[in-house]
Amino acid sequence: MNIRASLSRKKLIGLTAVLIAGSMTLAEIPANANSSDVSGTSDIVLGMQLPQTGLASPGYNKIDDAMRGYFDYVNSKGGIGGKKIRLEVKDDGYKAGLTISTASSLINKEKVFSFVGSVGTQTHIAVIKDINRRKIPDVFVNTGYTEFYKPATYPTTFAALGTYVTEAKIMGKYLKETYADKKIGILYQTDDFGRNALKGFNEAGLTFEKKKTEASFISGTQSNPGLGSQIGQLKANGVEIAIIAAVSSATAVSLLTASALGYKPEKWVVISVGADATTIQTIAGLRGIAPADSAALLKGLISASHAPAPGDSSDEYVSAFKKINDEFNKGPDKRWDNNVLQGMNIGYMTVGALMGTLNTKTVFSAKNNKTCQANAKKGTLSRVCFIDYMESNGSKINSAAFSALQYSATTHEAFSGFWIGAYDAATVLQPVGGTRVVYTTDSGSGLVTVSNYKRPAIAADALPKN
Amino acid sequence: MFKHFQKGNAIKSLIFFALIFYFGKVFDPYNQGQLSVVLIYFIGILSITLLTGLSGQISLGQGALMAVGGYTCALVVLNLGLSYWQSIIISAVVSLIAGWLLGITAARLSGPYLAGTTLVIALAIPSLATRFESVFGGDVGLSVDFGNPPEWLSGAIGEIGYEQWQLFAILPFATIALFLALNIFKSRTGRSWRAVRDHEIAASLTGINVQRVKIFTFVVASGFAGLAGAMYGLRGIVGPSVYPVSLSLALLTGAILGGLRSIAGAFFGAALVVFLPDLIDKITGGWELAPQVGDYLPAMVSGILLILTVVLNPAGIAGALHHHKPRHK
Repeated sequence: MNIRASLSRKKLIGLTAVLIAGSMTLAEIPANANSSDVSGTSDIVLGMQLPQTGLASPGYNKIDDAMRGYFDYVNSKGGIGGKKIRLEVKDDGYKAGLTISTASSLINKEKVFSFVGSVGTQTHIAVIKDINRRKIPDVFVNTGYTEFYKPATYPTTFAALGTYVTEAKIMGKYLKETYADKKIGILYQTDDFGRNALKGFNEAGLTFEKKKTEASFISGTQSNPGLGSQIGQLKANGVEIAIIAAVSSATAVSLLTASALGYKPEKWVVISVGADATTIQTIAGLRGIAPADSAALLKGLISASHAPAPGDSSDEYVSAFKKINDEFNKGPDKRWDNNVLQGMNIGYMTVGALMGTLNTKTVFSAKNNKTCQANAKKGTLSRVCFIDYMESNGSKINSAAFSALQYSATTHEAFSGFWIGAYDAATVLQPVGGTRVVYTTDSGSGLVTVSNYKRPAIAADALPKN
Repeated sequence: MFKHFQKGNAIKSLIFFALIFYFGKVFDPYNQGQLSVVLIYFIGILSITLLTGLSGQISLGQGALMAVGGYTCALVVLNLGLSYWQSIIISAVVSLIAGWLLGITAARLSGPYLAGTTLVIALAIPSLATRFESVFGGDVGLSVDFGNPPEWLSGAIGEIGYEQWQLFAILPFATIALFLALNIFKSRTGRSWRAVRDHEIAASLTGINVQRVKIFTFVVASGFAGLAGAMYGLRGIVGPSVYPVSLSLALLTGAILGGLRSIAGAFFGAALVVFLPDLIDKITGGWELAPQVGDYLPAMVSGILLILTVVLNPAGIAGALHHHKPRHK
């Protein structure tokens, strides 16, 4: 038996040739590799990372198509100052190792001006440091993880959602007041999302008992049989009001598992990012549950939202975005739901921020005002000015939300207001009590109060006017 | 392990170093980053080449041993404040110990039982990270990186980009791994592993302690995997979503496509696994593919390649490059 496994001379030559050929194919260095400014009528290239495939993808994989749909609509109207918006999307499959490579691709190959709307806390953690180190804007990130939105740590990162703590505090106050005599329990996924939600409920004065009214599961394991025992724990302990702080796919499995176990709490309460009715019904459908049955399962379920319910056809933003979605969304599943509305809203806010940065009348921070106004006059979009606009003019970026963006030099958290609703028979979230009341608070120990924010109307052409 | 290091292997390793260094200079930043991943996968696949290709033990859980290396590295960096290269070495040592513990169990198992056991370990590791969140950071993980390039290096070769620095930081370890693997293949140790793989009873009759060889193989392979895992984590984050089960399967895919019993095959396999999505993207860039097809195309193509390799060309790319009968069976 010949035991040699080394590279022979011929193989070495061959390998060298392959590598050289590879390097010639792969090493494409554009002449403007170091330029991050967008001037003239060049495209504004935006980058996004999200799970388009895999366990975490259902529902979220519609956000990018909705965003692109809105950008295409804006492009059809002439773009922003003659600049067209191009959205480059990379699928990371919710694997952080892959996210690092896809971020590198967006930065170095696609030369993105900014990241926008990226989905996934675990995955975004893997790249947020690098993105900030390179001073690339990282706006409207689709996670409510509070640690991302501290400007001192991540100066270029801005949220697209209210934080989980804020939402849970508002929901917690409502539950405590409405169901004071009921046994309230929680099922949460053991990641930042679940833990932040738990923190918010605790802050609102709701307390849970481990192994009794407090059940948890490892995020991403919702397809495992173990979730049945967690639901069983809530059932065995007589939980009457059951909170779920988990992604939509896990919410769907939880509801179906509970149904199979014959567990029917008086109320299900679900944190908004896990309460998308379309996603839940789609997953139920894959398990052979008819839409009417899954709708019945959702009826009465309590959730919250910072934006209008997608089923609220009387809302002007919903009507405008729905029309654009019908005409411009080229995605494989453009069914109108929370995710599509969120995608459209992020598109709308992004365009507003870009327009504001290029507006010659915008007043930036004292530090950058002179440079950024000069840039705006030249029609040049720079990263520094875009970040400056987000931070110093955040409250001027309008959106469908019933709350202003909170961006400032001390926080990059997004919305602080939520309203509470319950699903009706048509799976439309309707305000509890019949009237929508928006509550507001912070991620700390601040009180929950009624918001007096008045949402600006959307223009007839559905374009921001920043 | 081996009585003397082969001079030829040292030369080959140096050529490898020089070639990768050259490509690190001419590639654009994205491909520098991709080449870094190729090197990490190369080391990871080498662990499979040694374990499965050379000694015949099947593992579906090399990703778990990479996680051991990754978490060790992150904990050492964050808690002891050691430099990245010191942490990498410590990670490899800890992985050797983990491999020894695993090897004790593995030596009693074979075939599907061993594959199943290693797969369970790959599944269990992420759960441990969540169970002991205060130590391992839970789902959020532990944030670590290679830091900035040292000034002396920038002074010697000019301005270094972040991806380039990652590549240059990984390259010495990949070169050492290659050198060690080349020597193992040529040494008496390698011959005894091969003997155990081909016929345990016959190997035993020649005086080889089969159990000991199996354990030792696991120890060495784990060291390689741990080394790869440490550097994989140093790209930005160590967490459960960095070392999923699919990572173990990707390494196995690379090993089979490249050539399970060849060191060159490990490199080819790593390059294929890493660059295949880019290649497909380049080819299909102008096509109007539905996302349901386009999103899954890389996985589908590698699956087809895997089947074709097993059926038509079991020796993989490295085997196909031979113009004559493969040297080692």
